[in-house]
Order: sequence, then C-alpha cells, then structure tokens
Amino acid sequence: MQKLLKRENPNNMNRKAYIYYLFILATIIGFIVTVQLKSNITYQGIITIPKLLDLQNEISNVEMENKLLKESISEHAMRLVEYKTSVENTGSAFGTMRNELEKARNYADFYAVQGPGIIMTLNDSQQELAEGEDIAWYLVHDIDILEIVNELRVAGAEAISINGERVTATTSIRCGGPTINIDGKRHAAPFIIRAIGDPKALEASALAPDSYIELYMEYTGIQVEIQKVEKLVINGCDNMGKLKYQRKAEGGEA
Amino acid sequence: MIIPIIGLLLGIVIGILSPITIPIQYSSYMSVAILAALDSVFGGIRSSIEKTFNIEIFMSGFFGNAVLAAILTYIGDQLGVPIYYAAIFAFGVRLFQNFAIIRRYVLMEHKKK
Repeated sequence: MQKLLKRENPNNMNRKAYIYYLFILATIIGFIVTVQLKSNITYQGIITIPKLLDLQNEISNVEMENKLLKESISEHAMRLVEYKTSVENTGSAFGTMRNELEKARNYADFYAVQGPGIIMTLNDSQQELAEGEDIAWYLVHDIDILEIVNELRVAGAEAISINGERVTATTSIRCGGPTINIDGKRHAAPFIIRAIGDPKALEASALAPDSYIELYMEYTGIQVEIQKVEKLVINGCDNMGKLKYQRKAEGGEA
Repeated sequence: MIIPIIGLLLGIVIGILSPITIPIQYSSYMSVAILAALDSVFGGIRSSIEKTFNIEIFMSGFFGNAVLAAILTYIGDQLGVPIYYAAIFAFGVRLFQNFAIIRRYVLMEHKKK
C-alpha cells in the first residue's frame, strides 16, 4: 500500500501534507472511539411505545419506593431523637427501648393486659329436643365462637380470650368433636369469652338485632350471658416467638 | 502509512488519559462523528490513488460532513425522529463505495506486476 501510494503521489509536498492530515484525522478517530468505548454505553435498541410505558411505570415505582424510604428515614430519625433524649435524661436508651418492646409485645398479645370490658359466657342449650331435631343445633360450635370473636373485634375489642386462651392473630378455632380446639387445646362448654374494650359498645354489638347471637343462637336456646366489667385481666399468649417461616420483608407486597 | 497509525495510537492514548466520558444521550452524535471521520479517511485514500487529492476538499469534507451530521442529529433529537440515520446511511454507503474503488485500484496494481 505504501509503495502504491508513493508511486501514485509523485508530488512530494502534497503527499507529505496528506499524511499529516491523515495523522490528525487518525488521532481524532482514535480519540472518539476510545472515549465512546470508555463511556460504556449499552445499546438501547429502538425505543417503542410499550417500552416507553414500561419505563414510565418503573420510574413511578421507584419514586414510590423512594417516598416510602424517605418516610421511614424520618420515622427512624424521630426514634433516634427519642433515644438521644432518653440518654441525656437517664444516661441510657434502655428505658425507651424497653417501652417500645413492651408496646410491641402488647400489640402481639404476648402480655397479660387489663382494662374494662365484657365477659360473655356461652353454654349449650337446655331445651329438650323435639322430634326430628338434631342435637347439633343446640350446641355451641367452633363457627359460633369464630363469628362472635369477629363481631367483638368489629366492636373494637382490643384483647380477647376464650376460656383463658388468648386470641392472637394466628389463633386457630376449630371443631374437635364434642369440644372446640383453640390453638390445638381442647375446650368444652361453657365458653367464657373475655374481651377488653368499651363495655357498652361490646355488649350492644353482641346483643344488637341482626347480630350473630340474635340471628342464630337465640332461638335454639343457647345460653348467652353478658357481664360488663370495669376491670378485666386477660392472660398473655403462651406460645410466644415461634416463627418458623416468616421474616421481615423488604419493600411492598410482591 | 506508519504516521496515521501513530496518530491512531496517540488518539487512543489521549482518549484513555482524558477524563471525558460521553453521556448516553450524545451517543448518536458519536456514532455519526466516527462515521464522518472514517468516510473522510477512505475518501482521502481513494483520491490520493486517483491523484486528485486536495487538502481543502479533504478537511472541509471532514468537518463539513461532521457538522451537517451533527445538525441532522440535533434536529432529529428535537423532533423525536432519528434523522441521523440519513447521515449514517450516506456515510456508510460512501464508505463501502470508496473501499470498493480502492480495492479495485490495488488489485489492478497487483495484477500489473
């Protein structure tokens, strides 16, 4: 090639200039290519409208996440301030932390709690069976307990126990033949349901027309007795802290 | 032929040493600039073989083409239409044409010998 160029370019001046301009150009090419390579730009392909919408969604999701994270930052900052004031006042953050733990345990139904509420006693019917009637109609069933617990919660019950068994978020209530299994433990009638909350509201909701008791239990003669109490103590849950599968999650539901 | 290669190496060294990186939105400008430079190189080689090499045409071609391509790219960016494809297409076609002509000249020289 060089030989060829030499022969084809007899004009030495022109050839020299040509080679130097080529030198400048080659420098520019080398520079541009290296900079481009260094910038590490991945090819995006042609951006279609669905792709654009996808990206838009992704951005809004990330923004949402950012917002949540910011909120959690401010929350943690507040807690930090609390710790700091407690350290300044008492010399350690232990008290505040213990308060927090207690609060969390109260929410998790771990501790015995006290407050005003009602005691509801459910007992099997004393009515005599008429011909063709099933004895099952006159017994208290697991489903009755479940419905009543749900109604108490609707009425704002903050702690509930059945025969001394604390009802937690994971409590199971299930038929066990003549008995009812609550969290796997057998319990027989009478069932004493304790609930802490506004006593008036709890009683009213239990006895209201269209309530479960009114609709399904009154006419079979199942004995329901409700007692309003100013001070009621409800036991904590026994099996604390046996979580095998669940862990703290990061981010929203997925 | 050694001097352009030295230039290429010099450019690569400058590129590595310089702190410049290209933001992704300017990558289309870079592709056009690379093509304009390559087009000029092949055009220069061809014209020197044909003994019609002219520095003014060579340099004005390089910078003029680069500027025109950059303008096209800019307009395309503003309109949201990839007009710079036109520049890439034109440069690409010319590049291959020039290469074909150079090839023919070189092969003819080879046969003569």
